[in-house]
Amino acid sequence: MSPEDMRAGEAIVAPTPVLQTERLVLTRPVPDEAEPWIAFRLSPRAVYAGGRSPDRRDAWRRFASQLGHWQIRGFGLWSVREKGSDRLLGGVGCNRPEGWPEPEIGWLLFEGAEGRGIATEAAAAARADAYARLGWAGCVSYIDPANRRSIAVAERLGCTLDPDAEKPDTDPCLVFRHPSPAALAS
Amino acid sequence: MSALPDIPVLQTERLTLRAPAERDFQAWVDFYARGDTRYVGGPIHRNVVWRTLAAYLGHWAMRGYGMWAVEERATGTFCGNVGLWFPEGWPEAEIGWTLLDRAVGRGIAFEAAAAAREHAYGALGWDTVISLIDPANARSIRLAERLGATLDGHVTHAQYGRMAVYRHPGPTAAGARADATGVQA
Repeated sequence: MSPEDMRAGEAIVAPTPVLQTERLVLTRPVPDEAEPWIAFRLSPRAVYAGGRSPDRRDAWRRFASQLGHWQIRGFGLWSVREKGSDRLLGGVGCNRPEGWPEPEIGWLLFEGAEGRGIATEAAAAARADAYARLGWAGCVSYIDPANRRSIAVAERLGCTLDPDAEKPDTDPCLVFRHPSPAALAS
Repeated sequence: MSALPDIPVLQTERLTLRAPAERDFQAWVDFYARGDTRYVGGPIHRNVVWRTLAAYLGHWAMRGYGMWAVEERATGTFCGNVGLWFPEGWPEAEIGWTLLDRAVGRGIAFEAAAAAREHAYGALGWDTVISLIDPANARSIRLAERLGATLDGHVTHAQYGRMAVYRHPGPTAAGARADATGVQA
């Protein structure tokens, strides 16, 4: 199935799995997770993640939109936790809202979750699932040129800068292209 | 609460109220680019329209109620969104309506809003509900008044500014009114 086929997300009815890595558990977001997301959206950490919300009203609406992304597309950012912990560390995974030229793997870590390889470990799992279960033929990550930590994650994931790739509208981001399914398998 | 909201389908004499879906998207994009969107926050870029559609679905998941997509039963034509709306920042839950230009002037919003109100008072057990309306939106105010709602003060919204609060009749009075106007929900 091509990424274009995945746009018909309404037809996807198979239950969403839970992804496990060595240290992490990735689950589909649920309404009860609104508060940590709202806190994140109001924090300076959201600057590189689609922008900081001016108030709770905006942050709430954006979390609602994330839940709806899952319903429309059949995929989205996974909720990431360490095994045995209830604490939400961030959202990592598949992202394709209107205006994105290609399917994206995105990663957003909440306060205190950085510096331990969590984004890299979760993104690798989300990417493997997108290739194996969703049938993606490839993907990119859109990263702000000033977001050095995120660029480092992309490089650890084997991504290379693609200067010719189409960008989301007027966003001045860099486009990092992930290895293809075949390249990852070899 | 499940991540997948169970969105009920309501039927009225002429209309079906169903879950919002991506197939409604292009009609909304056209409306928010070219339609009469003075009182509903427009014009709005297609990327933001998509996120609003997604937020409608997320609202259902978070609240257990939300906005329906309204279709004409006879033709399947998409008319707009009507439903129960209570995002963060709203003073209380409201009955909201946003109709595409092609659906205005035929009592469609009235019929759908009455069905949404009956769902609120019946299935959800609410005892009151409002509609928030731009004070300059005369057509929407007339609709609220036809539904029996009366002006109950004003609020200032962070995004939309000063809004009139129209309070609907309570469950008993609204039920009697629906019977009198022949609304079937």
